[in-house]
Amino acid sequence: MFSRLKIPFLKRRTQDESEVEELRIAFKARYHNFKLLLNANNRSLEIMAEMEEALQGIQPFGMTFIQALTTSVSTSVWQIIKQLNELAPGKYEKLYDRFKEIQKQINPLVYPKRSAQGGPLVLSFQDVDRNLADQVGSKIANLGEVKNQINLEVPNGFVITAQAYHQFMEYTDLQTEISRRLQTADMDRLDQLYSLSAAIQQLIIQAPLSGELETAIMEHYRQLVEKEGVRVTVAMRSSALGEDLAGTSFAGQYRSELNVSSENIINAYKEIVASKYSLPAVTYRLNRGIRDQDVAMCVGCMSMVDAVSGGVVYSQNPMDIHSHTTIINSVWGLPKSVVDGSTVPDLFIVSQNGPMEILYREIPVKERKFVCYPDEGVCRLEISGEEARMASLNDEQVLELARLATRLEEYYGVPQDIEWAVRPDGSFVVLQCRPLKETKREKVRDLKAVKEGVLGEVVFEGGVLASPGAAAGPAYIVKKDMDALQFPEGGILVAVQSLPRWAPLMNRAAAIITEQGSIAGHLATVAREFGVPALFGVKGAIDKLENGQVITVDTEDAKVYEGRVEALLERQKDPKNLMKDSPVFQTLEGAARLIVPLNLLDPDAPSFKPDNCNTFHDITRFCHEKAVQEMFQFGKEHRFPERSSKQLYYKVPMQWWILNLDDGFKEEIEGKYVKLENIDSIPMLALWEGFTAVPWAGPPPIDGKGFMSVMFQATTNRALAPGVRSNYGERNYFMISKNYCSLNSRLGFHFSTVETLVGDRPSENYVSFQYKGGAADFNRRLKRVTFLRDILEEHGFRVEVTKDNLIARVENHEKDFMKTALKIIGYLTIHTRQLDMIMSNEASVNYYRNKIEKDIRELLEPVAKTHEPHS
Amino acid sequence: MNGFKILLVDDEIEFLETLMKRIKKRAVDVTGVSSGEKALEEIEKNPYDVVVLDVKMPGMDGIETLREIKRRYPLIEVIMLTGHASVEVAVQGMELGAFDYLMKPMDIDELLYKLEDAYKKKTLHEQKILAREKDVGI
Repeated sequence: MFSRLKIPFLKRRTQDESEVEELRIAFKARYHNFKLLLNANNRSLEIMAEMEEALQGIQPFGMTFIQALTTSVSTSVWQIIKQLNELAPGKYEKLYDRFKEIQKQINPLVYPKRSAQGGPLVLSFQDVDRNLADQVGSKIANLGEVKNQINLEVPNGFVITAQAYHQFMEYTDLQTEISRRLQTADMDRLDQLYSLSAAIQQLIIQAPLSGELETAIMEHYRQLVEKEGVRVTVAMRSSALGEDLAGTSFAGQYRSELNVSSENIINAYKEIVASKYSLPAVTYRLNRGIRDQDVAMCVGCMSMVDAVSGGVVYSQNPMDIHSHTTIINSVWGLPKSVVDGSTVPDLFIVSQNGPMEILYREIPVKERKFVCYPDEGVCRLEISGEEARMASLNDEQVLELARLATRLEEYYGVPQDIEWAVRPDGSFVVLQCRPLKETKREKVRDLKAVKEGVLGEVVFEGGVLASPGAAAGPAYIVKKDMDALQFPEGGILVAVQSLPRWAPLMNRAAAIITEQGSIAGHLATVAREFGVPALFGVKGAIDKLENGQVITVDTEDAKVYEGRVEALLERQKDPKNLMKDSPVFQTLEGAARLIVPLNLLDPDAPSFKPDNCNTFHDITRFCHEKAVQEMFQFGKEHRFPERSSKQLYYKVPMQWWILNLDDGFKEEIEGKYVKLENIDSIPMLALWEGFTAVPWAGPPPIDGKGFMSVMFQATTNRALAPGVRSNYGERNYFMISKNYCSLNSRLGFHFSTVETLVGDRPSENYVSFQYKGGAADFNRRLKRVTFLRDILEEHGFRVEVTKDNLIARVENHEKDFMKTALKIIGYLTIHTRQLDMIMSNEASVNYYRNKIEKDIRELLEPVAKTHEPHS
Repeated sequence: MNGFKILLVDDEIEFLETLMKRIKKRAVDVTGVSSGEKALEEIEKNPYDVVVLDVKMPGMDGIETLREIKRRYPLIEVIMLTGHASVEVAVQGMELGAFDYLMKPMDIDELLYKLEDAYKKKTLHEQKILAREKDVGI
């Protein structure tokens, strides 16, 4: 007992020191937790802003973008919860449950599970009709319907199903690797997309099929040979699931392989599956908001037809459905060159009003045709003499084809787009059949300038209208893929052939001109879908244009003018927004509903608790509020002289208290006061500079002792701020570290909060400013925050005003920019005091706006400060 | 960032080498290995402060490796890296004590900030333990 009193002085002192040391570390560790929380909070708010921006629907985005955003926000929110629980162990565990519950609702939206469907890997055409579209794709399902229900001639064949596709993708975990590569690519860069597309296709082509799948395919091929009774080569065509999504055409996105021999079927299958990731297909899905995983590649294999002639028939004119005409494009040999736009085909227009008759025919010289090689593949043959000039269909065949088209349209009830061929025996065979998309076209052409023909100098005219409209821009001639990479935004695409290869340029091109091609080609279909005006089959266009030459394309009159012809352009509507209402867009909308809205607004309300966190934003808001409080309480409660709050000493003791969280002072301070020159907080000093830069001149100073006394009054006279409570109790506190500063203040009648992190990492920097209250009536308070908003927005802040509450944020800039922003905030905090009182007087408002703008200018450029000369 | 050691683990050699080169340019001590198993061997031989771990690797995957590192060396901080954004894996990783979960492609400066923050966390953690040991007179 006695010995206890005789604790040696020295020992006691070391124990104190180690206690102090432990406390110092504890403070440091807490501040580090707090800073990590702020970083995560900042990050999550940024992602939410990014989501809202994406939901404007201006830029296309894909599922990997949504998955990356949601994963990123989840990671941040989880970290926020974790850091808060480090600051206050065990106190906020409940938030993990809220997090998991919200996450559970987001997951099925962002990571939709494919319903396990099972079913056969390969199906014979005779077992297929339109009810099987979700197993074989709509293209083959329709063909099966034509064959088995409408009983029109369709080649024999079989289809490798969606089930087979999924098995192929899962067999070597291909899908995971593909998704990984998609995520790491920059979808805005066409050059990156080129190499990404090539790499993914290689990956697919090199992957093995399961033995089961390979056997099933070859067994069906054997059955096909048996049925035909001769040696069989096949045409293999894609038939993707998801092609039939509302309003999408998918024209020419995927590969077809013609005249494939038995030994190459498996390879061709993989190549067609790989074409899901062809550049046109990837950009098309991106622009149309179609989810990758919704597109399962089915592949139809049908006996190759050795076509005498072939082509496409539209059961109606897609650009004028009420004209009741059938449009036929036809070439010698295989129909391939009609759809890929590589030749100008014969054109027949057949009237459906009354007895069918041919209204119009255009028979150009057809210089080449595609035919089958005897063993495998197709080749292009030059045609000369009579055959080249002859129509590829006789009149009787034209009418028969028109009747066939009408029959299919009547069966389906909507206009059809049909690919067909004529067999050597003269019979027609249907190769593909799908709904035709109508294109709305404004036919009103009563512009005065058009009538008077004073539009400008015509560079050339001619060609067929492939997609309606008019547009102007610099001409850009594209011959090879390299040219496509350099294609300028808003340029006019000029090419020899209307190849589907140019489809990825569709969201950059203002219009398209080609020397060859027809309205039945894939590129025309895609152009109509994207609302890009297109003029095809303009002979010699390339020779008449130079790169960069600004022209106006008028597809309606098939004319190209020099320069911009405003009279034609002003009637143009805005470009189509293809993202909105797409599956991808809806996915983001759904996820954002669980992430972005903020319901927990008032930290003083009894409802401000974990149970009421219904979105990720609620959780971040709650955690942030609590974290700041926890930091403050810890600082206040620990009897630790170095870290206890100090009163600010600036010429005189001021009514501001400082709580140093970590490294906010230049040295450890023992006493009651801290001098401004001892403060080492970058953001606090910038804010202070804004406070004191310009003396406050009224409205009426409270006691006439000038600026400092006003600040004392405003912060000491509780009567001036009735009912407004600072979060930190009675006093105005700065919480600071070298890079952090938070300030809750009541100056005059309003309540404002500044929180900021400013350091050498631009991506972590932010200033957040909240402003509320006032003494005047609601309307005038509202006017004041609007007044403030205008000023802040001009200086780069993102501002949100709800009622008389203003929240402004600026982030991710370099240190100097952030310091400037803080000076402005500091200035405004002081100089908008009681401004609400004058907000109904227009003249006063203008006076103060001018004064404030001038003050801020001078504040930011102190060197340029000039005094008005005395007169 | 003086004197702190980073171990990068990724089976994609090309990515690994590029990343190491870029980190080394900033005068940070970094080593790279191509699998979870090799990572454990390496940590056994040399001390590391922060490990950057790819999630998807053949053999021991990222999550398994993380679990093992945290079991054997609880003070080492681990940053997960992934090419395939998965919330499930992210949360699982962080529950196992990962410092953060980053998605490729990431900004090199962002990664360095995370490395610094992770290292600082580790240092403070160690100091805390040290101070407490002193306090109880060890």
